[in-house]
Amino acid sequence: MMTSIWLDMALAVIVILAICLLGTSRLGSIVALFAFQSSILAAVPFLLGGEIGIHKLVITIGTLLVKVIFIPYMLLWAVRHVSIRRDSPGILGVSTSLLLGGLLIALSFFLSSKLVLSGKTFSGLLIPSAFSTLFIGFLLLISRTKAITQVVGYLVMENGIFLFALLLFETTPLLVELGIFLDIFVGVFVMGIIMNHIQNEFDHMDTSQLKSLKE
Amino acid sequence: MILLVLGLLLAGGGVELILPKNGLRNILLISIALIHLICVASFWFHLPLDAISGFLGLDLFGLIILSILSLLFFAVSVYSAGYVGNEKGRSNRIFTACLLFLFFSMTLVTVSQHLGLFWVAVAFTTLMSAPLINFHHRPQALEATWKYLVIGSVGIALALLGTFFLAISAIQIKSLVLSEVLSHADLLSIPWLKVGVIFLVVGYGTKMGLVPMHGWKPATYGEAPGPVGALLAGGVTNCAFLAFLRISQVCHAANQTEFLRPILLALGILSIAWASLSMLGQVDFNRLLAYSSIEHMGILILGLGLGGIGIYGSLFHAVNNAFSKGLIFLVSGNLFQQYHTKRIRDIQGVLRALPFTGGFLIVSFLAVTGIPPFGTFFSEFIILKAALNDHNYGIAFCYLLFLSVVFIAMASIILRMAKGLPEDATMENPQKEPLITTIPALFLAAIALLLGLCVPPFLDHVLRQSSALLGS
Repeated sequence: MMTSIWLDMALAVIVILAICLLGTSRLGSIVALFAFQSSILAAVPFLLGGEIGIHKLVITIGTLLVKVIFIPYMLLWAVRHVSIRRDSPGILGVSTSLLLGGLLIALSFFLSSKLVLSGKTFSGLLIPSAFSTLFIGFLLLISRTKAITQVVGYLVMENGIFLFALLLFETTPLLVELGIFLDIFVGVFVMGIIMNHIQNEFDHMDTSQLKSLKE
Repeated sequence: MILLVLGLLLAGGGVELILPKNGLRNILLISIALIHLICVASFWFHLPLDAISGFLGLDLFGLIILSILSLLFFAVSVYSAGYVGNEKGRSNRIFTACLLFLFFSMTLVTVSQHLGLFWVAVAFTTLMSAPLINFHHRPQALEATWKYLVIGSVGIALALLGTFFLAISAIQIKSLVLSEVLSHADLLSIPWLKVGVIFLVVGYGTKMGLVPMHGWKPATYGEAPGPVGALLAGGVTNCAFLAFLRISQVCHAANQTEFLRPILLALGILSIAWASLSMLGQVDFNRLLAYSSIEHMGILILGLGLGGIGIYGSLFHAVNNAFSKGLIFLVSGNLFQQYHTKRIRDIQGVLRALPFTGGFLIVSFLAVTGIPPFGTFFSEFIILKAALNDHNYGIAFCYLLFLSVVFIAMASIILRMAKGLPEDATMENPQKEPLITTIPALFLAAIALLLGLCVPPFLDHVLRQSSALLGS
């Protein structure tokens, strides 16, 4: 029973950190919060119980390397090269987005009560927290205007998806998980290059200025 | 054999990064495209064996899409050698390497038999095409690339989630290899399957550019260079269409076709309607083509949703659409390089200034709007027949109505571009048009015409067999 308490706590912290992201506008803190969330995420496979195999080790080390070290480092590097340190609260204010975040968590619990899992579930909180993280990431992505915050929103979404993947630990072969890591890695890499170009062309990184292609 | 082809493409992309001269890189690109074409032709005689414990393999759907890709890429590889050559002082190092990596990921999509691997391959097509869209390095191109990456990545993330839900639904099968899922479909958990299908449809629908997930398409196609547009509209969208075929396969095996059909019909009609209305009064030629692509994606999904002979029509339309869209994007590339603009108002007198390009412009217009004797006419007609067979008169009426709106919109724009006198006085006399950019267009035009005049028996046979897989 010991493992289950720690697991629930980790899941709760992951969702709380996602909420914190909604309320933060300093770019540096946003990246740091994301790194913190990912580091807890990396520990979750071990809290699920069961034997510690090479499979779990690869996933955890991969998450640590990519999401806790490499990507935050790259994003912080990008932040240093931009003159702006703060994200504007975006199209929604801070309070509205926090309220929406709460509603999304309620929605997640409602959704997961509708979907019953036949196999092993590990913890009753796993599916709701996965949905919550996913939705909050999506909210960040669509409500913020700075390129860096949008990238972080996308990555938080990926974290939510990662929690779903844990349900499939026994059935999904390693190859696919490696492919997923690689994709996130390359995805952020390409986004980074483009972000750099946006910076050079427009001398800022506010994607809300990118609207000459609007109809 | 499959591994050999994939390895060749990957290694080719790597070598492109090292080779010192533009000319050498072009030769490598074209020769790899040619080798790929020969390998794919051999697959028609003898389907290759499965590799890596059933993860990779080629079935009939894969074979159809792979053949389309191979022919299209061959034309594009020759064309882009000429296209980049016309941009003075540009290195094609990144361009050719990304083309090959993109082609690698598209080939991987067609041979993936594992749904997770399939997703990885589709995600790679998004990433590898992003640098290609940004080729002209204009601020607008950057904006288009950013839009493409963000919306595309979100779509792809949702598709991943759908794949996971499908895996949760298949938790008793303990595998996502397509053949195993299909043969044990009675073990699938239906509620999770339904949620999974919804996420997969939204995710891959974003990739395909169906309304209402089409936001990136006009911007991206509007800014992509001609050859890249041809690959995106003819190749990458077909990879997404293959995803829909796979979803239908799973739903068919689990007896959930009735759940999927209304979703597909709604998305199809919505895409055709929205695209046709947006084409009226369009000011940018490439954006016009983007909406035309959305319209054709709608037709594909509509045919798939109608079922029966609609599936045959849909598969046939995928073949036709790839070549006619490829052709019209190559034409748009030629126009952009001569006129240095994509604004319809500023492009006039194409027939007088560029006789070959002008001719192809008219031909591709006829092929894209589905005028006989081009193949698109017959496949669109089969889909109409499927709607009538099904007594779906409302859908048939909307379909015909919006297709005629498309015809009127495109006719008024393209005929005005083709006729008249060029505004620029230096363009009054016929310009020299290099063979290297006209021959690929001729090649694609010939295929589009041939498919309408007579469907090759081997293609007809495979189309029939594969549509039988979905129960028609």
